[in-house]
Amino acid sequence: MKKYETPLLDELEKGPWPSFVKEIKTAATKSEMANDELGQLEKSYRDKRGYWKHGGIVGVLGYGGGVIGRYSSLPEEFPGVAHFHTVRINQPSGMYYKTDSLRTILDLWDEYGSGLTNMHGSTGDMVLLGCRTEALEPLFAEVSSRGWDLGGSGSALRTPACCLGQSRCEWANIDTMDICNELTQTYQDYVHRPAWPYKFKFKIAGCAIDCVASIARADCSVIGTWKGKIAVDQDVVKDYAKAGMNITEEIVNMCPTGCMSYDGKELKIDDTNCSRCMHCISKMTKALRPTGEKGASILIGSKAPIVVGSLLSWVVVPFIKMEPPYTEFKALVEKMWDWWDDNAKPRERIGEVIEMKGMRSFLEAIGVPPQPQQVFEPRKDPFFFWKEEDLNGNK
Amino acid sequence: MEAEELKNKIYDFVLAAKGKKKLKEKDIIKGVSADTGEAADVVKKAMREMIDIGRLMYSYGGGSSSVEIPSEEYLREKGLIK
Repeated sequence: MKKYETPLLDELEKGPWPSFVKEIKTAATKSEMANDELGQLEKSYRDKRGYWKHGGIVGVLGYGGGVIGRYSSLPEEFPGVAHFHTVRINQPSGMYYKTDSLRTILDLWDEYGSGLTNMHGSTGDMVLLGCRTEALEPLFAEVSSRGWDLGGSGSALRTPACCLGQSRCEWANIDTMDICNELTQTYQDYVHRPAWPYKFKFKIAGCAIDCVASIARADCSVIGTWKGKIAVDQDVVKDYAKAGMNITEEIVNMCPTGCMSYDGKELKIDDTNCSRCMHCISKMTKALRPTGEKGASILIGSKAPIVVGSLLSWVVVPFIKMEPPYTEFKALVEKMWDWWDDNAKPRERIGEVIEMKGMRSFLEAIGVPPQPQQVFEPRKDPFFFWKEEDLNGNK
Repeated sequence: MEAEELKNKIYDFVLAAKGKKKLKEKDIIKGVSADTGEAADVVKKAMREMIDIGRLMYSYGGGSSSVEIPSEEYLREKGLIK
């Protein structure tokens, strides 16, 4: 039943795209919470300010993550959203669902919450929006009894996320979904029990096209790559040219390392200078393909601008084999966590600590030797790690 | 040290920090381990057991989590007191 006039929100129903206002209005026909959500949001638009309070001590017993407390600062005016907590449900790798499992979750959510969802949040989780405190434990009991679990929040390991990988993509160099699942299972304790100075995110991409945007969003980006050459089918290259592709402009001149040349007859690649960025392969999918050993590059430190500015991930390990049970990768990650936990102040991400303490200190702690691929900015990261004892003979 | 005695030490450690410092799990493990001589793993296990039954709880503010003494409101909501 319509409870509020919403002229400002109504504007957002216009146009060709799906509208969140329309969805909330649909939910509001059955849910008092969704109805008051509309009323409070309209007031926010009118007053040009938000009316939410965030944080606190909500959660399920024994867990430190998975529920984000959200309260209305106008509970008397909008009682339906007095409590409006967010519940994160750990998504399956690649976000694959059977329709009946989705129906199960959504039926439970209609019963215990507002009926509003966010599929999916930027963390990767399935996000259930709007739960009262007293409904959290019963909802969790129902959800967990059906094999689901909460995702991460707070200063914990956030729910690992990945691209579709080898399940749908011919360019995936690693089994992203298996890696994501393995990390989720192995580090359950870190997801549910926040033990660190701040959050830590894994995102796993099958190639450098990076559909999961790991290089911008993950403290640890795992990006599939290869060691061999790019195989070129020159006949197909000619077909692309005949079809109107300007190979010099669209491919050769766009190569970030300038390792390609084209004389109108033959496309040549200097593979020793190729950074495996995938630009040429993604444009000429039928003519080019990676060959040789497959694995991943490990990058560290990206984040959005919260405490200090945003950062992109930084290559730490140019190539590592990624085969189950990923023992070498897990050992590396655990060393990273130890160093970060020892050196960070509260709310410092690992990338910020590396910026402050230096990549040298970080590489020494995790036992990775300096390599040319780690140079982030030329002429700024020399990586000559002279120690005091090295200089003694020259004093 | 008996398990219950260790849990009481952990509780006292968290209580002493109440209102002064937000304690991470690691602060508690390091601090209690140093005070009692118990191994870090033993302290961690005892602390986790306390969290599981609501004697301690995780709290959250400003993106960062900590371990605290539960409020009456929390215990009531979890059905641990009436």
